[in-house]
Amino acid sequence: MSHGRAIAFEGVEHHFDVGGTPVPALDRIDLTLEPGELVTLAGPSGCGKTTLLRLVAGFLPPATGSVTVGGEPVRGPAEERGVVFQQPTLFPWLTVRGNVELGPRLRGVAKAERAELADRYLRLVGLQDFAQHRPYELSGGMQQRCQIARVLANEPGIVLMDEPFGALDALTRERLQEELLEIWRATGRTILFITHSVDEAVFLGSRVLVMSPRPGRIVFDEPAVFGEHGARVPADEIRALPEYVALCDRVRHAIHQPTNVD
Amino acid sequence: MASPTTVRARAVRRQRLRRIPLHVGTLVALVALWWLVTRLGLVRPLFLPPPGDVWDAFVRANTDHPLSPGSDRIVRGEQNYYLWEHLLASLQRIGLGVGAAVVVGIPVGLVMATTWLGVVLEPYLSFLRALPPLAYIGLLIVWFGIGDTSKVWLLFLAAFPPIAMATISGVRGVREDMVNAVLSLGASRRQTLTAVMIPATLPEILTGVRVAVGFAWTTVVAAEIANGIPGIGALAYLSGQKLNSDLVVACILVIGLAAIALDLGLKFLEKVLVPWRGKA
Repeated sequence: MSHGRAIAFEGVEHHFDVGGTPVPALDRIDLTLEPGELVTLAGPSGCGKTTLLRLVAGFLPPATGSVTVGGEPVRGPAEERGVVFQQPTLFPWLTVRGNVELGPRLRGVAKAERAELADRYLRLVGLQDFAQHRPYELSGGMQQRCQIARVLANEPGIVLMDEPFGALDALTRERLQEELLEIWRATGRTILFITHSVDEAVFLGSRVLVMSPRPGRIVFDEPAVFGEHGARVPADEIRALPEYVALCDRVRHAIHQPTNVD
Repeated sequence: MASPTTVRARAVRRQRLRRIPLHVGTLVALVALWWLVTRLGLVRPLFLPPPGDVWDAFVRANTDHPLSPGSDRIVRGEQNYYLWEHLLASLQRIGLGVGAAVVVGIPVGLVMATTWLGVVLEPYLSFLRALPPLAYIGLLIVWFGIGDTSKVWLLFLAAFPPIAMATISGVRGVREDMVNAVLSLGASRRQTLTAVMIPATLPEILTGVRVAVGFAWTTVVAAEIANGIPGIGALAYLSGQKLNSDLVVACILVIGLAAIALDLGLKFLEKVLVPWRGKA
């Protein structure tokens, strides 16, 4: 597995064609995500966060500039870059277990080893009792956990998460946030986590980025430690820390800053 | 464990059971109305034979019976075949035609949906679909002879477009992120096809097959118009020519009921093969 490969954006620009006129989506992105970082990227909806993630995933090529992983340009989707989508894209013709085993199966991993992987990651996300269910028999939160297990069971060096908890209720969301941190601390993967929630960005990130809309630019980039060291402290207490509140304020300020392009 | 799905399934089944008396009632009322209209002499039996005569025609067509009342020449069913043999012969042709359409239509649909061939060939598919079967059965007879080959070809040509088109629209309707998801798990192009494209398209393909079988039933009379005995379509057509309305109505009812039974079978197959339909 390709653990420990940095993701680098160099002079990346991107725009979409909307009815014939190019609408800028990303503008001069120069950014390096170090191996093992949990980078959270916050910003208002429609600011280009998802585009940035899809460039790393290899779903689309940048119009200008380059996206590289470990020095090699991204040429398309690959197993080293797992993607957790905003909407759970589970395959309804497979059971929960079948979905989690899919990546290893496609790579030709032996049956016994596959089962072991599936067991481990189903247990990690707390779905071991639902292995034989179909995805549509699960609640939204469980589907999202299944999707996370499916990506992790494929053991990618990089996990890209596009507002994975955006559609969930507050309680489920907070539980999944803590689960994600546990998984990150246990596996040490590089994670790019997109969110529109300031609290989520600060709570999870080892590094917090903020993107401004139209065209998307990184306007804020600070390290954070709450996710990394939060294992020993209950979540409510972390959220009450003055440093936590201060960082939230700075992030919120960066999001609401008026952009100079009109 | 009673998941919400099985609870819902049970509720649906209970609702369906409750509807049975309604269906039976409707059927009885319709037959009674039919009987009353003929009994009161509102229409001549040539236009609408009474239910009893149709039943007699149905029984006669399934047994050895005298050629005419009082005659001592015993004939076998109608046109020397029992009615069920006519039905079986038509079912066989439909099975062959639709079977071939499935075998050819699905791969053609997959290729057309994923390559430039689709753009080139789609107008011809629409053209073929729009053709009335009666218009080209003559040509098929010239090409493939008066035997069963031309009939099966006609049924194939009727069943092929809906299956190919359903496959195409199924493939085009696959969510892009479903494909992205499997590619991000490391799938090759071929694996993407087998692991996502085909299963994701299956519900639409099955709908296409059901439409195709329906098309085949409406085409069966045209297919059997020349040298179609045994064949239920041919029997219906011939008895119409001979103004034997009793038998025409009996044939129509048998065709309709067989079509419904076949469709129920396909619906059941759908439930077994794509249990996720409408849920994901």
